[in-house]
Formats: sequence, C-alpha cells, structure tokens
Amino acid sequence: MHRFLRISVLLTGLIAALSISAAESPQATPMTEDSLGPLVEQPIEFPHDRHAGDADKGGMQINCMYCHTYARRSAVAGIPPLQKCIGCHQSIESVREAPRIKKLFEYWEAKKAVPWKKVHDLPDFVRFNHERHIKRFIEQQNRPFQEACGYCHGNVKEMTVARRSKALSMGWCASCHQKDHLVTAEGGTPVGGQAYWYTFYKPDTAVGSAEGLKAKGPNDCWQCHK
Amino acid sequence: MMDSGFDRRDFLKVMGWGGAAAALSGCGNTSIENGKETVVSYVEAADYVIPGIGVYYNSTCAQCDAGCSINGRVREGRVLKLEGNPASAINRGRMCGLGQAGVQHHYNPDRLREPLLRNGDKGEIITWEKAYALIAEKLKGVSGEEIAFLSGGVSGHLKVLLGNYLASLGCKNHFVYEALAPGVVRAANKKAYGVEMPRYNISKAKVVLSFGADFLGAWVSPVHFSQQYAQFRRSVDGQRGVLIQVEPKMTLTGANADRWVPIRPGTEGVLALGIINALGTSTGEIAAAVKGYDRARVSKETGVPPGQIDKIAAILKLRSPSLVLAGGAAEGYAHGSQNAAAINLLNHVLGNIGKTVEATAAVPFPQMAPAKGNTAALKSLNDGLAAGKYKVLFNYAANPVFTAPGALKFKDNLAKVGFKVAFAHYLDETALHADLVLPLDSALEDWGTLVPEYMAEGAQINIQQPLMENLHPNTRGIGDILLALLKQRRPEEYKNYEDYYAYLRTALVQNKTAFGGHAVDDETFWNETLTKGIVKLPGTTAALSGRAGVAGLKLPAPVENDEQYPLQFIPSVNISLRDGRNSNQPWLQESPDPLTTIVWDSWMEIHPKKAAELGIVEGDIVEVTSRVGSIKTQAYLFPGIHPDAISIPIGQGHEAMGRYAKGYGVNPFQIMDAVFDRETGELAMHETRVRVSKTGQRVIIVKDESAAGAKQIREKIAARVSTDNVDLSKEV
Repeated sequence: MHRFLRISVLLTGLIAALSISAAESPQATPMTEDSLGPLVEQPIEFPHDRHAGDADKGGMQINCMYCHTYARRSAVAGIPPLQKCIGCHQSIESVREAPRIKKLFEYWEAKKAVPWKKVHDLPDFVRFNHERHIKRFIEQQNRPFQEACGYCHGNVKEMTVARRSKALSMGWCASCHQKDHLVTAEGGTPVGGQAYWYTFYKPDTAVGSAEGLKAKGPNDCWQCHK
Repeated sequence: MMDSGFDRRDFLKVMGWGGAAAALSGCGNTSIENGKETVVSYVEAADYVIPGIGVYYNSTCAQCDAGCSINGRVREGRVLKLEGNPASAINRGRMCGLGQAGVQHHYNPDRLREPLLRNGDKGEIITWEKAYALIAEKLKGVSGEEIAFLSGGVSGHLKVLLGNYLASLGCKNHFVYEALAPGVVRAANKKAYGVEMPRYNISKAKVVLSFGADFLGAWVSPVHFSQQYAQFRRSVDGQRGVLIQVEPKMTLTGANADRWVPIRPGTEGVLALGIINALGTSTGEIAAAVKGYDRARVSKETGVPPGQIDKIAAILKLRSPSLVLAGGAAEGYAHGSQNAAAINLLNHVLGNIGKTVEATAAVPFPQMAPAKGNTAALKSLNDGLAAGKYKVLFNYAANPVFTAPGALKFKDNLAKVGFKVAFAHYLDETALHADLVLPLDSALEDWGTLVPEYMAEGAQINIQQPLMENLHPNTRGIGDILLALLKQRRPEEYKNYEDYYAYLRTALVQNKTAFGGHAVDDETFWNETLTKGIVKLPGTTAALSGRAGVAGLKLPAPVENDEQYPLQFIPSVNISLRDGRNSNQPWLQESPDPLTTIVWDSWMEIHPKKAAELGIVEGDIVEVTSRVGSIKTQAYLFPGIHPDAISIPIGQGHEAMGRYAKGYGVNPFQIMDAVFDRETGELAMHETRVRVSKTGQRVIIVKDESAAGAKQIREKIAARVSTDNVDLSKEV
C-alpha cells in the first residue's frame, strides 16, 4: 500500500513538472521542406546578392568558395577572415564611404573579428561535412557550384543577409540520402563493384542493366552521428 | 545510500517513464538554432589555418618527470588532444593516461589567473609590476643565507636561469624536492655502477627480477619501460622473457609478472643475498658475505618459501642475461641503501653489467643536466625552517605542505618564514600558505627546455613550446618570471632579452653547432628545432665504473613484533595520481586504479586473512593510527598484499587545489613517520607502523569491478592453483 502511494506521489510530481514545461514552451509549428528560418540580424548587413548574384541583376557572380574558401578543404565552410573582405575593398574606392563598408573598416582598424551570427546551425551531435559534398557534386559531377551549395543553403545569390531556407532536419537530409541515384561513369563517380562504396546497402539494380546502376547516398547513422 | 522511503527500483521506473514522456513532448524540429550562436572568424588567418582541420605541434609532457615528447593537435587555436611524438627515443610516439590528461591541467577551471597578495585570510588581486616590486622590496637587506628556494626537479635553461638568479642573491639554499624520487636507488646505483641511472635494457633480458620497481606503472620512465617490456615478452631469440616481481604490495608490474612473490616488508635485501647464496657462483668476499644467508634463515626472515628461492635461483642460472631492479618498495626503509646495494650486487654476480645494465649518455652541458629532486632536501629545508633561518622562501613546483610526512610538522615550520612566494598553477596546500602567489602558464602555454633524467638512447634535450595562446591573459611562464626577477638584480646582463622566448632562442641558436645545426642558418635551425621538438646530441657516455663490493653491507634483522602498532604501513603509488600533483584532473580521478578499480577516493588494502582476524569486511570505515596521527578510510580486501602490511595510495586527501581534488579521500602522508635512510638521508617512506581499528561505519565502495564478475572469472577462466604448487621451471 505504501509503495503504491509513493509511486503516485512521484508520478503526480512528474506530470505537474511536464505540464509546466509544456505550458512554458509552446510547440513550434512543424517545418516543411522549404519553410524559412527566422530573419537573423547581423552586425553588418552583408549583401550576398551583390557579391554572388547574376550579372544582369547587378551581381558580381563571385564563386561561393572564393570567400567561403574552407568549404572544399574542411568539414566546416568557415566565415572568411576579415582580411579577405579588406583585400578587395581597400581598392574599391566607389563604395568606400558606404555605411556598411565604413563599419567593416572600423572592425579592421581595431583588429577585431566581426561577431557574425550563425544562420545554419546544426545540433552538436550532427557532423555535416562540407568538403565531402563539394567533392561529390562539384569536383566529381561538375555541377554548378551555386546549385550544389543551394541544395542546403537555398538561393543565397538572391538574398542579402543569408536566411535558412531548408529544414535541415534529419528527415530532410535523409530524403536525399535515401533516394536511389543514378550512378554513372561521368564525373569520376565510382561504378561497378565500387558503386555501393558510398553505402552499406547493395544497389537495387545490377551493374550493366538497361536502367543503369542506382545507388543510395551514404545513409548509415554514423555518417552524421559520429 | 538512500535512506528515504522510496525504493530505488520504483524511483528508476518512474524516472524512466518520465524520460520517455519528456522525449516525446520534445519532438519536432526545434533542435536547429538560428542566429543564436556567434560564429567568430579570424581577422587575419595564416595560410595553414583551416577551421575544422588540426595543426600539430611538438612539445614535451610535463605531467611527470619522464620527459616524454608529445604532439598536440590544435584546432581553431585550441589544443584538443595530445599524443606521443614518434621521434623521441623515450616514448616513441606512445603516451600514458597521465600524459593524456595534460589537457585537463591546461583547461582546469581552478587555475590561478591573477597574482594574489595575502591580506589576512584572503588573497587580493595585484598587478605583476606590484608583485615584482614587492619581491624586490622584501629582498632588500636580506642576506643570501636567509633566502631559500624550494623547487621540484628542474633542468635545461630554466635551471641555468634559476642558478643565476640565486647567485645574484648570493643564495646557496636551493632545495630540490620530489616526494617520490628514487633517491636511495640513485645513490646505490652510483656506488654499484658509477652512474645514478644506468640504462636498463629490459628488452635484452631473459629474466627480469624486480624488487618493488613498478616500471610498468609509476617508476622512473614507465612509457619507455612498457615498450621495452613488450619486446621482452615477445623475445628476440625465441625465449619469452620471464618477469618475477618481489614486493609486499602488488603493483601493476606485479600483476603482470609470471611470479609475484609477496615478501615481508623491508627484507628485500635479505632475499637478494639469499639468492646470491643459492646461486653458489660467487667467490671471495661476496661468497663470504652471503655465507650466512642460507635457505632456512632467508625463508624465515623474508617469509618466502625455500622452494621459491630455489626456483628463482634456478631460472636466473638457466637464463642469461637477466636484469635485477631495485625499486620504491625496497628503498623505503632506514636500511634502504643496504637493500638497494644487496640487490645491485645481484646484477654483478649474474654478470649483467654491460649487458642489461648499460652505460648512459649525458647531455654535454652539465649546467643543463637535471637537478634531481629528492626527499633529503625536504629534511634540510624543514630543519632550517624550524630553526627560523629563512626570511624569504620561494616555492616552485613542489607542494611540501601536502607531501611532507606529518611527523615533520612542515606546515607549522613554514609559518616561521617572514615572506613566502609561491609560483603556482593552482592554489594548492603550499600556495595557500604563501604571502604572494604568482600564477604560472600551463605546461601547454609555456616555453622551455627539459633534459630528462632517464635517457633512453643518446642524449637529448626536449623542447617545450606553447601549443596555444595563453588561456588566461595574466599568467606568466616561470622562465619569464625568473628573467624579470633577474633584471632587477643584473639589469645590464639581461637587458637584451625581451622575454624567456628570446633568451631560449638566443641560447640555442648561439650553440647551434653543438646541437647539430652547423650547416643551416639561424632561422632554419630554430624552426627545425621547434618542429622536431627534440634536440638530439652526440652526448658523452659515462662508462660504468662501479664494482661489486660488499664493504659496509649490513642488513638488520627483521622488526620484532610490535604490540601497539602491529602492521607495516605501505603508502602505495597510484599510476595516475602519483604524488598528488595531478589529483585535480578528473580524468585521472575517474580512471580506476588498475588493481582495485576504485575511483574518486582512497582505500586501505588489507589481506583477507588479516581482515578476518580483525573482523573487517569490504567497505568498513577503518581508522589507521600511527605514532603521528590517524586517518579514516574504507577497507578493501586485497589478496595482493602481505598479511603483515596494509596499504593506502597517496595522492588523495587534498585540502585545497580546487574542486576535483579537495575533499576526496585521505592523505597518508599525514600519518607518516619521519624516518630517514641512514646513508642518504632520504625519507624512508615504508617505515611507518600502524594499527587498524573499526569505526563501526560501513559504505559501499565505488569501484568498477563487481562481486559477481570476479566470481565468474575465478570459476570459469582461471583455474586456481596455490602458488607453491606451480613449478616455475615447467611454466618457462
């Protein structure tokens, strides 16, 4: 009898605690594939459209990886060092007096890093590797870099300050990694016995069949959860 | 223990359901954060800096005195992981758990960050300028005789600087103190072999007979010896090496031995002479000296069965070369020197000199050779303190308030010093009593050169360099501090050195020819030196010159049964906590002791037979009383200890030093008698006698091993054979 009472006391307390926490944190509406992240205020409103946008819209068509240079060499894309901004802007007299550029030079002269806010932030237990995606889509398959980066980052060339435009949830990542992709010899993609090198699962279609060989992207747990 | 009415099982059940419910309600896409964290980029980045990719730097491990070279992974300006540097002959790319925890020394939340000046019971934050001015002021009018400098083992350019500073003060009182130094063995080696630390070639030996030398755990250079041991076990010519360990309390090495011989504490020398007698190969004065040590007498005094003595002698005769080691358990007595001498004599008799006991190389700069710490220094310092001889005391890398035996009353004597300066990483027990505490850079932030005491191959100087920028802006390297203090005394001589880095660089570059850099320019030489982390030198080889002598060899009869204090107290050395300087590193606290698997606490090891006699069961809180004092800890029944001894590991029982050290376990130094080796004056650590009494309390010991697991292992894996029924010659 006492035991029953004790359990009820514990359970009551637990339910009370849960209902309080539920009341305090209203459930966010579930995201769809293309639901936008919140607008993030940055110390300098960096115009991605001006730098990376198409020429007919007044953009400079700079390669994403000119600034985010670490993406092809490391797991993280990195924010460019301030030195890189200054490297160009010290010789662009036309915008030297623009408020954003003035602010940029203020940071430079004080030798202080710009405290950018993270826009695409994954939980700490997820390891996303930029280098591997770039190797696959840009170096092997020769896809346009803005398309490849855009799979996850959206159409950055039309944004000013970057805004998350993909869900970046596990289901969203897996929706691509679980698909059967056509494996071809073009772009250096491994074929034949090497086709499922990317995954533990054997490809659905046999090598040399009419439809071509299909294989899934790497979708083992440990690929992201190391 | 839970004393409340809630059943543990019920509690866990409810918590389990609660966890599941919490997990369900937390589902959704809420884990992605946007715009919350700041991502700080570099202002200017070097070409080799890529976020997410590590850069590696070589340096030297400072966790113990072995001098292993390390290779640290640095990412985004933070050191993350240490591994061994393969280029070093000492550790050849390997590293021990103690070394791995070096990052926890560096990132320790309890590190001192600002210079502190005593104001009553509190430390007041002051500036470095004020601290230096204060030292200059306090030294004014004080003669060199009245100044004492206490330090741990120092070597390399730091030793040179320190020597110069003391010379500038006219001070000759440099006390080099290490609580766990093999001081007696060094002295005995000097006599027997002509060098303090010869090179022990474990890998070439076919039998290793070790008298309490825990060379796999905590003795001299364990990482190096472990690799040698691996080769010794693999064997060179098809004969797997045999290890026999003689000691009253089983160490990690003892646990790995083919034969572990428990011996009555303090009678190691008697057994050594008994083995020489049993070998029967010696002649002349040695034969005469061991004549009285026949099997019956030796067996009676040491407690080792006669059959065992014969077996040991037989295998030593059968296989040559062998190697005999004298270690911590043999030297810790008032007749420790005699024990060590008798054991070293065995190496002579067996003809191991020049084969497994070899000449060692020394660095050709004697001023850089290590000033080896010992415990005799503690006694002379303590005597001086007690007599009120010193007005100013400097302290660096030693914590005598924690490690001095209780009988010395070091803490009280320390109070007699007018002005005490401590250079410290943490507010440890000694720093707590200082008047001025100066915060040091961690070993991963500092510059330095280190000359290891035990040279594995040719001579080498290890380079210590920062793996990252200072974590706390107001700490300083010990070299920088000494340089600043030297500038007060000899401004002309040192004005050209902006900092210790400049001093080191100049000192090494000036002598680059001697360091093998004659063909390259200064810049290249310096960069290569830092890249390698080691300077290998031709070195001078000190030939072994000692000879087998029995002059003065006199072993006392074993102690009579002491009614009041019937048990011998063995302060054991844990492989990761050592003398307690690393106890505030939680990785070390949580890594189980290899033999008992106990974590985060002290314990008293007692033989099950003795425990049954005293009515003690595992977990009983017992009071261990010596002539000096008493401590209380949990009892652990351990068959690997002589029934007439008990053992408590040292390193725990801190009263200061931060959240991970303070308040865990007990400090066995507190009950230690101040008995000293008659020849060398070294502290005889094993000479304390104690009695054990129950307090009536009992706890559940926190440990990794389980009763059920141990039972299974006994029943299913290893057949139990009584030690005496094993025929050693057949096993070989």
